[in-house]
Amino acid sequence: MVEPTLVLYGALYQRAMDILQDTLQETGARYALLIDRKGFVLAHKEALWAPKPPPLDSLATLVAGNAAATQALAKLLGEARFQEVVHQGEHMGLYVDEAGEAALLVLVFDENAPLGKIKLHGKRAAETLARLAEEALANPPKLNLDTQYREEAKALLDELFGN
Amino acid sequence: MSTINFANREINFKIVYYGPGLSGKTTNLKWIYSRIPEGRKGEMVSLATEDERTLFFDFLPLDLGEVKGFKTRFHLYTVPGQVFYNASRKLILRGVDGIVFVADSAPNRLRANAESMRNMRENLAEYGLKVEDIPVVLQVNKRDLPDALPVEMIQAVVDPEGRFPVFEAVATEGKGVFETLKEVSRQVLARVGST
Repeated sequence: MVEPTLVLYGALYQRAMDILQDTLQETGARYALLIDRKGFVLAHKEALWAPKPPPLDSLATLVAGNAAATQALAKLLGEARFQEVVHQGEHMGLYVDEAGEAALLVLVFDENAPLGKIKLHGKRAAETLARLAEEALANPPKLNLDTQYREEAKALLDELFGN
Repeated sequence: MSTINFANREINFKIVYYGPGLSGKTTNLKWIYSRIPEGRKGEMVSLATEDERTLFFDFLPLDLGEVKGFKTRFHLYTVPGQVFYNASRKLILRGVDGIVFVADSAPNRLRANAESMRNMRENLAEYGLKVEDIPVVLQVNKRDLPDALPVEMIQAVVDPEGRFPVFEAVATEGKGVFETLKEVSRQVLARVGST
C-alpha cells in the first residue's frame, strides 16, 4: 500500500489544535503533538507554562520509528497491534497512541501529571483525532503548486548545495 | 507522497540513503551535517551501536528555505546496511520520496551491492512501490580505493538498465556528496504538484 498523505488544513487543522489544547489542559502534559507515521509533525501545542520543547523534528522521527518497530513486534507476536506506549523516566514521560492508521498522538509530560489522566484523556483524544484523520484522508486538499514552485526550489537547491 | 502542512505552510520530503553495510551512507550524512550552515539544519540523530554501526537509522533535517510561501524541508535518513537488520530497513522506507543508493567500489563488495539493491526492491514492493515509481540516484562511493571497480561494472549489477543518474563519490572527503543530494532533491521537487 502506498503511504497515504495526511494533510490537515483549515477547519480540520483547527479542530486538531483544539483537541491538543484540551488534552493539555485535562492531563497537565507539557506538549501535545499529532504526527504522521513518517515522522512529520502535523500539529502541536505547548502548555503556556512549559519550557522550550526539545527539537520537534527529532522527537517526531524517533517516536514514529519507535511506533513502527513496536507495530512490527506486535505482528511478530501474532497481535494486530500494540496500541498505547508509555515511557517513564525519573522526571519526564512520553505517551504515544495510535490516532488511526496514519497518525500518532504524542504527549510529553512531567512528574506532576498523573499517569492515569494522561492515559484516560490521551486515549480519548487519540480516538477523536483518528476520526479527524480519516476525514482528512478522505478529502485531501488539492496542492495548487505550479512550475514556478519547482523553478524557485531549484534556485534554492543551487544556493544550499552549490552549483 | 510529500507531507504538506498547510497550516504552517510547510512541505516536507523524506529522502533515504540505502545501500550495503559500510558503503558510506552515514558518512554522507555526517559530511552534509558538517557543511550546512546553522539555521538550515536541525539536530542529527544517530541510532548506532557502540562501534558506530547504524542500528536503526540516522536522521538529519534540512531547511531548503521558503518557496512560494511554503517552507520546504528535507528529512534525510540512512538505513542500517547490515543484512540482518532488514526489519528496520523496511520501516525506514515507509513514506519515502526519494532514494540515494550508496554503492561500494571495493571489489569484494560487488555482490553486497547487488544484494542490497535486490533487498531494496523487495522492501519497496511491501509498500506497493517499484524503483520506477520514485526518484533513485546511484552514488558509487569510495572511488579513492586503489582497486576500485569500474563504475560501469557496479552499475551493471545494481542498475543494468541504466535508469538511475550516477555520481562518483569519496564521501569521506565530501566529493560527490552534495552533487548526489542535489540531484535526488531536484527529482523529488520535480514531482511536486505533478502527481
